[in-house]
Amino acid sequence: MTVTKRAFVGALLCATALGLTPAQAADPIKIGLTGPYTGGSSSMGVSMRDGAKLAAAEINKAGGVLGRQIQLVERDDEAKNEVGAQVAQELINKEKVVATVGFINTGVALAAQRFYQEAEIPVFNNVATGTVITNQFKEPDYDSNYVFRNSAYDVLQAGMMVDEALAQGHKKIAVLADSTNYGQLGREDIEKYLAAKSVKPVAVEKFNIKDVDMTAQLLKAQQAGADVILAYGIGPELAQIANGMAKLGWKVPMITSWPASMQSFIDIAGTNGNGVIMPQTFIEDQTLPKRKAFLESYYKTYGVTKIPTPVAGAQGYDSVYLIAAAIKQAGTTDGPKVRAALENLKEKVEGVVTTYETPFSAKDHNAISRNMVVFGKVQDGKIVYAKPEDAKNAGVVRTKEKSSN
Amino acid sequence: MTIFLQLVASGVAVGMIYAAIAFGYQLTFATSKTLNFGQGEALALGALFGLTLVPFTGYWLMIPLVLVFGLALGAVVERLAVRPAIKIKSEYGWIMATIALGIIFKNVAENVWGRDDLKFPSPLPETAIEIAGIRVLPMEILIVAGALLMMACVEIFNRKSIWGKAVVATSNDIDAAGLMGIDTKRVITLSYSISAMTAAFAGVLVAPVTLTGATMGAVLALKAFAVAIIGGLESGLGVIVGGLILGIAETLTGFYISTGYKDVPGLILLLVVLSIRPVGLFGKAVIKKV
Repeated sequence: MTVTKRAFVGALLCATALGLTPAQAADPIKIGLTGPYTGGSSSMGVSMRDGAKLAAAEINKAGGVLGRQIQLVERDDEAKNEVGAQVAQELINKEKVVATVGFINTGVALAAQRFYQEAEIPVFNNVATGTVITNQFKEPDYDSNYVFRNSAYDVLQAGMMVDEALAQGHKKIAVLADSTNYGQLGREDIEKYLAAKSVKPVAVEKFNIKDVDMTAQLLKAQQAGADVILAYGIGPELAQIANGMAKLGWKVPMITSWPASMQSFIDIAGTNGNGVIMPQTFIEDQTLPKRKAFLESYYKTYGVTKIPTPVAGAQGYDSVYLIAAAIKQAGTTDGPKVRAALENLKEKVEGVVTTYETPFSAKDHNAISRNMVVFGKVQDGKIVYAKPEDAKNAGVVRTKEKSSN
Repeated sequence: MTIFLQLVASGVAVGMIYAAIAFGYQLTFATSKTLNFGQGEALALGALFGLTLVPFTGYWLMIPLVLVFGLALGAVVERLAVRPAIKIKSEYGWIMATIALGIIFKNVAENVWGRDDLKFPSPLPETAIEIAGIRVLPMEILIVAGALLMMACVEIFNRKSIWGKAVVATSNDIDAAGLMGIDTKRVITLSYSISAMTAAFAGVLVAPVTLTGATMGAVLALKAFAVAIIGGLESGLGVIVGGLILGIAETLTGFYISTGYKDVPGLILLLVVLSIRPVGLFGKAVIKKV
């Protein structure tokens, strides 16, 4: 990124903060940007927000959409369901946004997105993974569904985790999940998929957020003869599991849901986290020009050497490009027309996760298909490709399989 | 058998974490019949303050500084939240006031240190050592030893020093102590200072095993409160026993019954103790003369 570009980003951010509109444009297009910027999931929320802001700045620099600038209206939902619902109403009624991107937490998404559905405003989940999110307002119960998503949803991740465990030759699977909505929905998806493969887990255990001791859960898994652990949770507690295994001197492979790529997992688990694998839509590698440019500008703009949660940053970035493309195609910011455009997106949108070719249809509101998700592995403080063939093919864009969702 | 012992060992480590925090409740209750409901936040502030100092001082040198910090913090809590309530003889004012101060402390901590869970560097190796088939972390042994040492120091202070004797006298009969020329207000301030000091110390002691963050104290302080009720709010020995009971009950239930019900036996025990022996297992039954 050149100095002028940086200056521009800075100026734009200031302008957004002050609520000013860039001078040359007509009224800006307001897009809501909501996520937890404080609290336990803030590393995901902040990465998502920063990725989205980069995308908006780039689009604006290239002339904006429909000759208008994009203005992101940021709101902190604190990962709390009730705050998320308030924020949604504020964005819709007071800020008059034409679309909203965001949501890290499945519970918040479920509590907030019905306001968008009622107001007929597209709402774009770029990180939350609960399978039910895109099914909440599905046909035929609703005429049209305003909820879209470009993250790897739980059924897909659960399936990948189970298949990977079975492919590695493991027969005795232990499932550990946290007691939140997120963990328990994920556990259900894993158990369903295991049942479909007629495998019965040898142990299914629960843990709470902030639990400091995982001895009981791990000993149960160990006594049941588990040879692999599938864990559904977020960074800090997944790290306590990795640390607990090291303490017990028990070493079996650990496959987790995607948040093991959070910085908190890497920090807290330290060397105990090495070798843990998890589904990822994005790995910090600079193979493709688009990814290289994205990473370089992210590092420069925010003065970091690593995105705190790379997946969230990349998906946040892509979500703004997808919405912008839909508004451009619709030729208007009218909610129903933008939704229709999203469902039949003609332009190929080059994002950093993938190149989106008709990512959505009327029936399918998930942009990510299973072939686009790879396994990442924790290795010495970074997330790298878990499989050599994925690393080798890092430069190949994995596009969506037809009718895969 | 090894499994049982392993569970007990882990339960002891967790239980001593609870006991170390519960000890602080007991100290202030003895002198003023009030508690600091912001004990969890005092724990978190101590740990976060320690975390900030560690890069400059190392782990061991940081501890005395954290103790001083805790002393000051306790005095602030007492002056702002408890003394006004005692002065107007309000029975409940201190409850709301200490909770409110706790919320303020939490918010301050979130603004200063952020809301992420942080890693506290461990002063001891992080590889487990094996004793007769049971694996424990060196840090867990340090928690048990450190907590016991801390309690012993406070007990010795109470029994041997003139200030400690004033604390004991005030605990026994605050009116009589006042008539004997003891400045009971200062004694209460002192007990709050010592209480917050033990919380801050407990914070840096447990932080390498738990996570460090503004909300680290929320769950721990609640469990510690249960421990203080089970053991008896006026007994130092009670909190140790109560802590061990709760910690071991949690790990054993998790393994032998279900990890989903891990927290249930402790709470049942709490209800049983409250209905059968409201002063706690080791509490002294007091007859309140009206």
